[in-house]
Amino acid sequence: MFEKISEFLLPIAGKLNSNRYLQVLRDAFMLAFPLTIFGSIFVVLTNLPFLNKMLSESAIATFQSSFGIASSATMGIMSVFVVFGIGYYLSKSYDVEAIFGGAIALVSFLLLTPFVLQPETGEAVTGVIPVDRLGAKGMFLGMLTAFTSAEIYRKIVQKNFTIKMPAGVPPAVAKSFAALIPAFITLTVFLLINVLVTLAFNTNMHDVIYNAVQAPLVGLGSGIIPTLIAVFFIQILWFFGLHGQIIINSVMDPIWNTLQIENLEAYTAGKEIPHIISKPFMEIYTVGMGGTGMTLAVIIAILLFMKSKQMKQVGKLGLAPGLFNVNEPIIFGLPIVMNPIIIVPWILAPMIVTLVTYLAMSSGLVPPPTGVTVPWTVPIFINGIMATNSIMGGVMQLVNLLIVFVIWFPFLKALDRLNVQKEKEAEANQAS
Amino acid sequence: MKKILLACSSGMSTSLLVTKMIDHAKTIGEETEIWAVGQDKAKQEMAKADVVLIGPQMSFLKGELQKEAQKYNIKVDVIDMMAYGMADGKKAYEQAVSLIGDK
Repeated sequence: MFEKISEFLLPIAGKLNSNRYLQVLRDAFMLAFPLTIFGSIFVVLTNLPFLNKMLSESAIATFQSSFGIASSATMGIMSVFVVFGIGYYLSKSYDVEAIFGGAIALVSFLLLTPFVLQPETGEAVTGVIPVDRLGAKGMFLGMLTAFTSAEIYRKIVQKNFTIKMPAGVPPAVAKSFAALIPAFITLTVFLLINVLVTLAFNTNMHDVIYNAVQAPLVGLGSGIIPTLIAVFFIQILWFFGLHGQIIINSVMDPIWNTLQIENLEAYTAGKEIPHIISKPFMEIYTVGMGGTGMTLAVIIAILLFMKSKQMKQVGKLGLAPGLFNVNEPIIFGLPIVMNPIIIVPWILAPMIVTLVTYLAMSSGLVPPPTGVTVPWTVPIFINGIMATNSIMGGVMQLVNLLIVFVIWFPFLKALDRLNVQKEKEAEANQAS
Repeated sequence: MKKILLACSSGMSTSLLVTKMIDHAKTIGEETEIWAVGQDKAKQEMAKADVVLIGPQMSFLKGELQKEAQKYNIKVDVIDMMAYGMADGKKAYEQAVSLIGDK
């Protein structure tokens, strides 16, 4: 039966993984990744919990405001990188001049952005771009604009509707002329959209997309039920030996990343963190405890309490990578994949842990992740503390580890008994 | 000289197996070049390889990579699951060699 399901899942997973738009989206977020790590490090450093014991309040404020630019210039304007990345990678996937695709996507996005700041009270300030439009708030409009503009651009280029320079003209010059007509047409489209929306409806595309698309989708994604469904599918895919995150995250990342940036914007402004579910929540509390399925607890159980030689060996092999949240040895060596004894704890434990963590955070017992990006290879406990800026974030993971341990234990014991029996039979066969 | 390319999601989980495969090749005295890359690099890197092995968690890539590999007339296969999990360098190496052999 498992084989049948696997045969059914394989082509779907392949399609999702090789889908052009999802691939481009994944690459575009990867472009922003090193930048968000840079910004995150300085948010963590300027908010270290013991700072108030070493420095005066005004010194901390100066410290934070002078280093705050590190996150404002990276995560604070994350949409800029995502927009450019989508424009670039989508054009590249069609083999048209990619750098212009990126530039055109960015300008298209800016054409729809109001260059005016309307404070709650008082007069509007003109000649400025409100930074939040380039951060979390503009994320979905940015993605939509980038995909459409790059599509228009590449279609015009591919129709050969370009100015061709005679041979002998330097390539850089020829390329910029070649991009002229496609750029002009694409940008005109977005300029006209903006004129129409501002003049006829007295609003802007940012507000339209935010209210109609982003707020409802992100609101849905921040709920516990959709999150549990995502966790369920990730576990199921891995059970069939397929990389669950690569497949599910490419769909969920736009939502989880937006939630993360909204959290960080609130956190650095000294406000209450609005969301529990976000990208760091998924990374730190479903992967960051030994890998997908939080298998560090499984390794500990095997090394301490199991007798089968094969399992002991998998445990030893899996320990070092497991500390850095790489757990392929356990998944394929135990194996977890298509192992009917293991399917129950494999799927149940992460869902229960996700629910418990969510409840602990919504009750205020443990603070939610602040929105800083912690690389998923940072070991358990340390990554929990870094992500929440609280020792409780690490303690939560240890509690989770215990939960996983308890859920897995009876199933591991059963597997152990079977393996020991098999090993004895094999030995007896060899002896005789 | 056998050139074996391994591909997984980010090239991270496969690197352990690469070390074990190189160790095994050394003990049997064969000269090899074995390296691991993430899935995004696999298509470019395969130009330099005699065979491509992919991590079982990326098995859905096989069709796509095989198409590309035909250009170079090399084979693509999924690493045996248990060999991958137990980081069994010998078994994975033998799998690679047999794939190169009957090309």
